[in-house]
This record gives sequence, C-alpha cells and structure tokens, in this order.
Amino acid sequence: MKIVNLAIANIRKGKSATFSLFILIFIAALLLNIGMTVNTKVGTFYDEKVKELNDAHVLMMMNTAEFKQPYEEFLKSYPGVQEIEKENIILMNTAKFRYGDSDMNVGAALFNADDERKFSPLKLIEKLDSIQDDDIYMSNSFKSTGGYKLGDPFTLIYQDKSYSYRIAGFFEATMLGTNSMGIMKFLLPDAAYRQMSTGLGETASGTILSASLMDSTQSTKLVNDYNKKFPHPSTDMISQLFWDMDIETVKNANTMTINIVSMILVAFAAVIVLVSLIVIKFRVTNSIDDGIVNIGVLKAVGYTSRQILASITLQFMLITLSGGIVGVAVSYAVLPVFGGIITSLSGLLWTQSFDAVINAASILIVAVLVMTVTLLSAIRIRKLHPVTALRNGIMTHSFKKNHFPLDRAKGGLQFVLACKTMIMNSKQNLMIAFIIAAITFASVFSIVLYYNVATDKKAFFDLVGVETSNIIVQAKSAEDSPKLLTAIKQMDGVAKTAILDTIPMLLDGQTIYMSLTDDYSMLNNQMVYEGRNPQFDNEIAVSWGTAKLIEKRIGDSVTIEVGEASQSYLITGISQSISNMGQAAYLTLPGVQHVIPDYTGIMINVYLKGIANKDFIQNLNDSYKNLTADIIDVDETLESQSSIYISAVFSVMVMIIIITVLVVILILYLVIKTMILKRKKEFGILKATGYTTLQLMSQIALSFVPIVIAGTIIGGVLGYLYTNSMLTLLLSGAGIHNVQFNVKISLVIMLCVGIIILAYLVSMLVSRRIKHISAYGLITE
Amino acid sequence: MSNVILRTEKLCKTFSSGGVQQHVLKNLDISLIEGDFTVIMGSSGSGKSTLLYALSGMDKPTLGEINFEKQNLSKLNNDKLAIFRRNNCGFVFQQVYLLDNMSVLDNALASGLLVNKNKRAIVAKAKQLLAQVGLNEASWGKFPSQLSGGEAQRAGIVRALINSPKIVFADEPTGALNSAASDSVLDVMTEVNQNGQSIVMVTHDIKTALRGNRILYLRDGVICGDLKLDAFHVQHNHARHEKLKAFLAEMGW
Repeated sequence: MKIVNLAIANIRKGKSATFSLFILIFIAALLLNIGMTVNTKVGTFYDEKVKELNDAHVLMMMNTAEFKQPYEEFLKSYPGVQEIEKENIILMNTAKFRYGDSDMNVGAALFNADDERKFSPLKLIEKLDSIQDDDIYMSNSFKSTGGYKLGDPFTLIYQDKSYSYRIAGFFEATMLGTNSMGIMKFLLPDAAYRQMSTGLGETASGTILSASLMDSTQSTKLVNDYNKKFPHPSTDMISQLFWDMDIETVKNANTMTINIVSMILVAFAAVIVLVSLIVIKFRVTNSIDDGIVNIGVLKAVGYTSRQILASITLQFMLITLSGGIVGVAVSYAVLPVFGGIITSLSGLLWTQSFDAVINAASILIVAVLVMTVTLLSAIRIRKLHPVTALRNGIMTHSFKKNHFPLDRAKGGLQFVLACKTMIMNSKQNLMIAFIIAAITFASVFSIVLYYNVATDKKAFFDLVGVETSNIIVQAKSAEDSPKLLTAIKQMDGVAKTAILDTIPMLLDGQTIYMSLTDDYSMLNNQMVYEGRNPQFDNEIAVSWGTAKLIEKRIGDSVTIEVGEASQSYLITGISQSISNMGQAAYLTLPGVQHVIPDYTGIMINVYLKGIANKDFIQNLNDSYKNLTADIIDVDETLESQSSIYISAVFSVMVMIIIITVLVVILILYLVIKTMILKRKKEFGILKATGYTTLQLMSQIALSFVPIVIAGTIIGGVLGYLYTNSMLTLLLSGAGIHNVQFNVKISLVIMLCVGIIILAYLVSMLVSRRIKHISAYGLITE
Repeated sequence: MSNVILRTEKLCKTFSSGGVQQHVLKNLDISLIEGDFTVIMGSSGSGKSTLLYALSGMDKPTLGEINFEKQNLSKLNNDKLAIFRRNNCGFVFQQVYLLDNMSVLDNALASGLLVNKNKRAIVAKAKQLLAQVGLNEASWGKFPSQLSGGEAQRAGIVRALINSPKIVFADEPTGALNSAASDSVLDVMTEVNQNGQSIVMVTHDIKTALRGNRILYLRDGVICGDLKLDAFHVQHNHARHEKLKAFLAEMGW
C-alpha cells in the first residue's frame, strides 16, 4: 500500500510529464494494436467472407465453345473437392465502364440474377426497393472506390456498343469483386440477361466452373494441376477467353496492399515504442535526480531499495497500463478507417470484432519493454547510500571543459550561450536527435510512398509490373496483328510500339504468367533487376517469385511445355513483379515460337507523343476498326486502378505526419519543461543580471535547433538513401527486390525544414514558461 | 552638492499567503545618494532584503514609486526591468549564484557582453577586474565549484561591476563566508566604493556595516533610523565603530 501511495504521489507531482508520457504510450499502443489487428485479421477476414458468401475456391471461365466435359470431370474427381457447379454466363474479354474518375477496361462476367446457384448466391448488402428491367447488380467495390451509389446510371461498353443500366444493388464477392484479377462480376435480371445474351450471340457465351475444396489452401495447387492436365494456350486459344483463379491467389492479391500498410503501422509503432522507451529512461533518470533527497529520506526512514524501485516501476507501469488500455480502446475508433481501406481494396465489408488476445498482446509488449527500461534506469538507487542522497547525492554534471568560452567563441552572445546549453545536455540531445531522426525517416518514407503512388507513378507501376504504354490495341486475330502493327507504326503521334502479350504457361511444371514481346529494350518498364532481359530465342527471364518456386537461378535451364511441345531455355535475368502473385516469366517472340509456332502476339502497346489518347483512339477507329478487337486507354485504366492505393497510402502518410508532429511537440515539451525546472536557479540568475524572457526563450530554442537540424538531416539523408531499401524489405515477401521510387529531394528538404520550424516554434512556445521565473524567486526560495 | 540616484515615495510591499496579508514594507520614502555606501540593517524579518530587491527593480512594489534618476521603475514591465538592471545595476548575493556551468571569466562575460558588444574591450575589462579583486589568471578558467567561498564571491563582485553599474546591490555578501574571506570581499567593495561606485548592502553584521557611510535601520517595514558615518578607513575606525554601536543600541539591536 505504501508503495502504491508513493507511486501515486510521484504521478501527482509531475502531472504534465505524466500526461506527455501517457500520450506517447497511447500512440504506441494505438498503432501496435491497429497494425497487429489488421495484420492478423486480414487473412481470416477473407476466409470468413468466403464461408459467409459461400463463394467458390476455384473458378474456371471460358468460351462455351471451348468448354469440354473432361474439364468438369477433372474438378469433380480432384481430391478434396467438395462441390462443383457449372453455369452459363456472358463473358466479355474487355468491357469498358466509368470507374472513379476515369474509364476502366477489364473483363466482365455477367450472370443471370434470377438463376438459382449454389456458389455465391445473390445477396445484396444494399438495394433499391423498386425493380426495373434495366437494373444491374454489381460488387461493392463499385460503391467503395468506383464512385457509384444506388440508383446511379451505369453504362457498360462492349465492342463499341453501349449498354445502359440502373444500379439496383451492391453485393460482396471474394472472387470477382475487384479488378485485381482483370475480370469483374455483374448480375442482370433475367429479361436483361437474355436480351444481352441473345444480342451478343456465341462470341460472348461463356461457361463458368466453380468448385469448393475441403481445404481452400489447396486451391492454387488445383489450378496448377488443372493447367498441367489441360495446358493452354494452344495456338488456337490465344485470342479466346480463358480465366482461372483460385481463392488463395485472389486473397493474396487483394490483401497485399493492406498487409504492407499494416506492416508500416507496426514498424512505425516500433519507432514510437522506442521513442517512449528513450523518454521513459530520460524521465526515470530525471525523477531520481530531482527526488534524490526524498529517496535519501525514504531510505533513512527504513524503506528498502526494492520498495523504492517498486514504487518507481509502479509509477511508470500505471502510466503505461492506462496509456496502453486507452490506446487499445481508441484503436477501435480508428480501425474503421483501415476497415474502409480493406473494403476499398477487397470490395468486402469489414466487420470490426473485439480481439482480447491481440489487445492484451499490444499492451503486454509495451508494458514489458517499459518495465525493463524503468528497472534498468532506476537500478542505481540500490547503490545509493541515504547520506549521499540526503546531501543531494550524485553530481549530474561534471564540468571538465569550458566549451564555447565567451571570450574566444565566435558568434553572438545568445548563440554561444545556446551552444553551451546544448553541449551541457549532450546525452539528452543525443536522445532528441535520435528521435527526430527516426520520425523524420518515417515521415520521408511515407511522403515518398505517397508521392510515387499518387503523383509520379512511374516507379510504382514499374514495381507492380505494369507496362506504361498509352494505348493497348488488341488485334482481331493473330493474322491481323502484323498488319495492324505496321499500320499503327505509321500513324501520327506514335513514338514507338511493342507487342506485349501475357499468357499462362507451364514452366517446369508450374503455371506462370509469361510475358512475350519482340524487343524488351523497347519497353518502358525494365523489370529485370539482376542479369538481363532475354535477347535470343533460347533465353528467358523469370521473376523472383518464379525463381523461388522452381528453385532456379541465372544460368540454370527451365522447360516450357505447351501441349506436346516442350523447349528448354536459359535463365538470363531475374525480374520483380507483384502481379500474378509475382509468378511471371519473360520470353522473346522467337523464343515462344519454339513451343507455339507462328505465334506473333496480338496485344500492341502504343506509346504516343504529341497526341491525346482519345484522339489517337478516334483515328485508329476511323482507319482500322476492322483489324481491332479492343482498344484500351492504359493511362485511364491505370488512373482508375491506382485510386484505391492512393487512398490507402494517403491515410498512412497523414497518420505518420500527425504522429511526427505530436512526437516533436511532446518530446520538446517534456525536455524543455524539465530543463526549465532543473535550471530554474540559473535562469533566475540570468534574469537578475538583466536577461529578458525573450532572450532566455531564444537561448533555449536555439540550443535545440542544432540538435533538431542534425536529427532531421540524419533522418532526411537516411530516408533519402534507404527508403527504397526499406520498401524492398517490406515488399520482399511479395517478390520485390529492387524498388526504385523517386525520392524527390525537394520534398525531403521541405519536410526537414517543416520539422525544424515546428521544433523551433514549439521550443519557443514551451519555453514561454520561463516568463514565470522571477529573479526575485532566487531569494525567496 | 550630492545627487540623489534613487528615491522611493510611499513604497509598500505586501505579501499574501493563504488569505493572510503581510505588510513587509510600509510607506517608505528613501533617497539614496550617488557614491554612498548605504547599509540596510534590521532584525530578521524586518524587510531588509525585500527593500533591497524592490529598490533594484528585481521585485515590484505593491504600492508607491521607485524613481531611479528620472525613470519610474514601478511602471516598467518585467522585460524593461531586466534591461534596466543590466544597464544600471550590479548584484552581489549571499549565495553568490554564479552560473555553475560557466567558468569564472564566462560568468563575468555573460553579463558584460549583454550590454557591451565590443568583445575585446569587455574581455579586457573582465580580466582587469578579476585581477583587481585578487583572482589570478589561473582561476579565470575555473568553474564555480572549483573555487573557495571567498574566491566565488569576488568573482560575483566582478560580475556585478562588469557593466560599470550606477549602483551595486549586495545582499549579505559575506553571510556565507569565513572571517578572512569576508574581509577580502569587503575590502574589494570598499575599494570600489572609494572609486565612486554607489553601493547598497544588506547585512546584519556590525563589522560589515562599518564599511558603509550611511546606515538605514529597518524595523517592521519602516525606516526607524538613518545614521551618517565618515568614510571607512582601516586605520582610524574606532570612533565610527562606537558611533554605530550606539546607534544600533538605540535602535534596539
């Protein structure tokens, strides 16, 4: 009881210091709990949604004309498959519609809303009360990121024909709910479905095979085995429609960004915990120095060192536990923001549940660290004799050298006195410099991330593995492709062109996504980060993910199989790609012709100069409409697809910057307040000899400015040099090994200057309390 | 004709604590003469230090006026008072109050450079003053903790004199010193006074008070005695001593 009283008395004595420490612990627990909750929940959240929506674990979609009974038989007989379902749908290779602020071009699977189905039965989370013939139902991602709401008109363009609908409801879907896999799901009422189906005829007639497994983690293996059994593409399948997907791949694609965001939060929480620990060490040391006489008195009246240590530990543990509990509680108010990001990325409604284990873990991690630091900092009490303590004990300063002597030091009096103060508190200043460096680094990291995702997107697209051409033109047939390519090359405003197809292929028995082009040096996105792109027909580059999967490296050989044909290739380079779970490979067109003779490629990437995309598309349609199957405005598509990443990264950046500002304020408040209390006598003397409050405030602020400048420079330089390394580390799990984000020096400088100005203003503001110190106080004390 | 350097009119100082008011200084009208070594005496709690700090602009009076030459200190805010102090006053405290993170020389210069921007001149002056008070060059770079009590107080006097103040206020400057150290400090103060420096000193020690040429006796916040003495002289001091003793006896010392 006595120990508790001592601890509470100490807390009461330093209310504002207690409060600032409380805030730091609060932030640390808040971030840690959000990061850990999001990180652990995302995986199970997706699995639970699959169960809740009764979604399939594997989908195979193809032209009905291409469907063969053995496909269905394969699924039926595959070990572990629980149920399968076959359904006719309308399948569009590329449908165009408005999404966000731009047009999106993706595949579309249109289902009959009135059909009975086992998998993913229509369950609307929001719907209109009335029913119309032109109603359409779409996934919730259209609402969360597409900018649509109930009752809005929706126009779907397919093969230059517009189909107009009214949005009558939104549903959740784990498999075809977002554009991440290149195809999205829509449902039409029976009449509208039949009308479209009849109108489009056989070319858009699709079949979907859905299957569920006892163990959904086997879904990737099933798809791989399926592709081994029924290899594609064959020469006659290239231009036709085929999609297969499994729940694990889709889950990983949809949760990767949020996992990265949560990892950033956890990393930042670690920085804040570290900051809190440093501050706690500082606080414990100061509170022992300040209360040294009290400690002597306590020892003299019979308190043991253990009891005094316990009271100090209890004091900080009480603050930690209350800050931790409040942080965890408040995290439930902030989690919906991240739930919103998850909803944007997955199209699924995030339901927040209480997780006692994660909450307890967040508090426990912080508490154990705080207790360790407190004990280590306070352990010296054990060696302190009561008499030494009563005589004001330990000398905190041992002046051996007169730094910045006033008779010789250069600079104005205020500046030199500030420098003296700075040197006098070198340990404390090191702590501040370290903290400022850490938060500056985190802020640089978040700003660079945002800048590259939202403003200068090239590096981001390179990272994702997107080729940043302006237009993609799909030739009507393989035969038309060379003719169309030649024609496009001669059109006005065309800077360059490149064939770039991506088709699934079997590489050493694994299904990977093969990029095929005539000349890799023509591409904007040079994805190979080690070795080089394939140049000859016997060469191949593979992604890091593929290399890991097949356990091969540069110089090894791999075998590609297409039907009966098989060919060995030499690995010349390792690339990075987040797309398709990072499982990609790259062949030249002559290279692929070993296994698919006469392959010419049908996707023509067009790079424009001096002409607007829309004008070029118009010109192309005017001249070569008969040769094109589809035209995609890449800029618009990328714009709309990146909007969800922008909002996620923006949230992270705002959060980190707010916390940076808070930490700067708290640290300086704590340090300056303690400094003023400790040096009250000195400031009194200076005031007595004629120093004004403003002069002393400037002295204090100036004594911190070089520290803050050093901290921000260190943090800024580290951020400038190592943000890409940090991102590489964070994304290495997703197959990224070389991040080349544009670290804009002007932004880094602006941030650093901002932090310095903030620190100066905070220092001036906090040191205003010096106003209350009077010279007369010296005598009356 | 002697010049009044500092004059108070109806000076009052009242402290409040827990709803209880304590009137420490009551309607004091005092005139201090330029070049005088004025000593304020009185029993404990009589308001000596309160008066000293009110006169020096270190503390504000509750009522009344303090005029330093033509400037009314009562109307100045804290920062203006600080500027007034740096330009016109020097302080010597009983506890010395040197800045413990600065060398002896730096302590003097921290005050000196505040007023005089000519670094070379002020450094030379500080060194000259340090030598004058008997602090040799070896001690100039020492920190206060490395000095004896007497040395520290002499360093404090240098700090008080560095800006050639019009008046030096000393609050029991020998209160914490032994006899030998006290004498050396008082000798320094006497010397500077004999060079024309006005000094106002609070003390409760007769030997120290003897250095002054005017003794003000304070009782319950009121000046109840004002004694004029001849200038101090080491050799011929007996008569002054007797006169002071008689005065103090009369005051009930």
